[in-house]
Amino acid sequence: MSFWQKMDQLDRRWIYLTVAAAVILPFLLPTPLPIVITPEARSLFDAVEALPDGCNVMVVYDYYPTTIAECEPIAIAALHHMFRKNCKVITLSNIPYGGPSMAERITRMMGDQYGKTYGVDFVNLGYKYGYVAVLSGMGQSIESIFPTDNSGTPLAQLPLMDSVKNYSDISFIFEIADNATADYWVSIVNAQYGVPIGCGGTAVMAPKFYAYVASGQFVGLLGGMRGAAEYEKLIEIEADATVGMQSQSLVHLVIIGLVVLGNVGYWVGRSQSKRRAA
Amino acid sequence: MRTTLPIVTAFVAGFVMVVAFFFRADSLIGSLRQEFTVWLTIVGGFTLLLGVVSIVRVNWLAVERRKEGWRYKILTLIAVFAMAIPAVLPGRWWSGFGRGDGSLYDWLFNNLQSPMMATMFATLAFYIASAAYRAFRARNPEATLLLLTAILIMLWRVPMGEAFLELLPGDVPQWLNTYVMNGANMAVQRGIIIGAALGAASMSLRLILGIERTYMGKS
Repeated sequence: MSFWQKMDQLDRRWIYLTVAAAVILPFLLPTPLPIVITPEARSLFDAVEALPDGCNVMVVYDYYPTTIAECEPIAIAALHHMFRKNCKVITLSNIPYGGPSMAERITRMMGDQYGKTYGVDFVNLGYKYGYVAVLSGMGQSIESIFPTDNSGTPLAQLPLMDSVKNYSDISFIFEIADNATADYWVSIVNAQYGVPIGCGGTAVMAPKFYAYVASGQFVGLLGGMRGAAEYEKLIEIEADATVGMQSQSLVHLVIIGLVVLGNVGYWVGRSQSKRRAA
Repeated sequence: MRTTLPIVTAFVAGFVMVVAFFFRADSLIGSLRQEFTVWLTIVGGFTLLLGVVSIVRVNWLAVERRKEGWRYKILTLIAVFAMAIPAVLPGRWWSGFGRGDGSLYDWLFNNLQSPMMATMFATLAFYIASAAYRAFRARNPEATLLLLTAILIMLWRVPMGEAFLELLPGDVPQWLNTYVMNGANMAVQRGIIIGAALGAASMSLRLILGIERTYMGKS
């Protein structure tokens, strides 16, 4: 059996081992890498930067715990930027599977870091079934859809919600999504109420969202961990995404290397069998 | 009556939601739309309950009949009750109840469910690498074009790869963003989005007009 035939039948456990090594190695030998800012990330940052200090913003946690690695750094970077500008943050989730818990944990953690008070500077509305109904219902009255916050406190008892009745009181929406709920934020909230929306999504979802950026329905876009790393660079707080990019870089290169190797094996094997047949 | 009532309900609800777009929010029809929206979230809450009942029923039957893997189903049932019961009990009874910070539900979610789900998703990277090695072949011109584009995009999405692309003549990263992501990719995505929207609109019309009746459990 020739080398290339052996490579063609390579045990997949070697592939798993190579990928595992590529993930772990950068944590043992950290190598800072330059991160180039894409126009989509820049425009999202500029839009948030241009918001008046102290305005009301919505941060939407529309992602499942499966995509925490990609979406959580985006959420944290967004909150850094918004709390730094003293924005009043209202969070909610259209994901029943842990969305409100993630919103609660991350927003409280960031709120504590910036000395913000729950109910005054930030509120977690939690989850309500039916994102189409929720999104369109909040256009008229947030309180009719979310009579209480995530922990059951009536909105009337939260000072921040005195000044926030519907979308007309919201200056910006930062949607973090790993699924199609982002489409409804575009078609219901942006199209009908005109609220500017910025989006952070998983790398898999990002290609779809380019259409919304080009049409101006999203003011900008962060694609996956790379997008989060770009935002971290823009707000000058290097955190998890910047560190994670080292592993992701190496894994991408390993996969490209494997694909090239697989193709060389395929072509060599094909020419050998053709030669034998001749 | 069993057919007529659901059809009439679907027609009225759908008609109000569509027509309300053309009325002010504070008008009668605008208020009706808001009322329907609130009802929808309440009815939806019950569908979640239905999901819990269904998962318990299916797993309990499997345990009762000692079907293959029944021991795992016991774990599923324990997990469902361990997460659901403390979460629905009021937090004022005990700090461990409810869904707030420090509750049992919160602890289980952050320390068990969330890491497990993230791990499941992370293992995809290994399968993708293995699948790419075996299946991503330049068998014909179309496959070769896809392969080259994928490699360039994968390089472009990571700093190490982008540094490599910067070495090539011309501004390759800029080219990829302009022509691949904002060109070919966007054209295809727009086609998909428009197609899906047209499909949703046509399905909605069929429901409102009573042509589509599968939601009643029959064709």
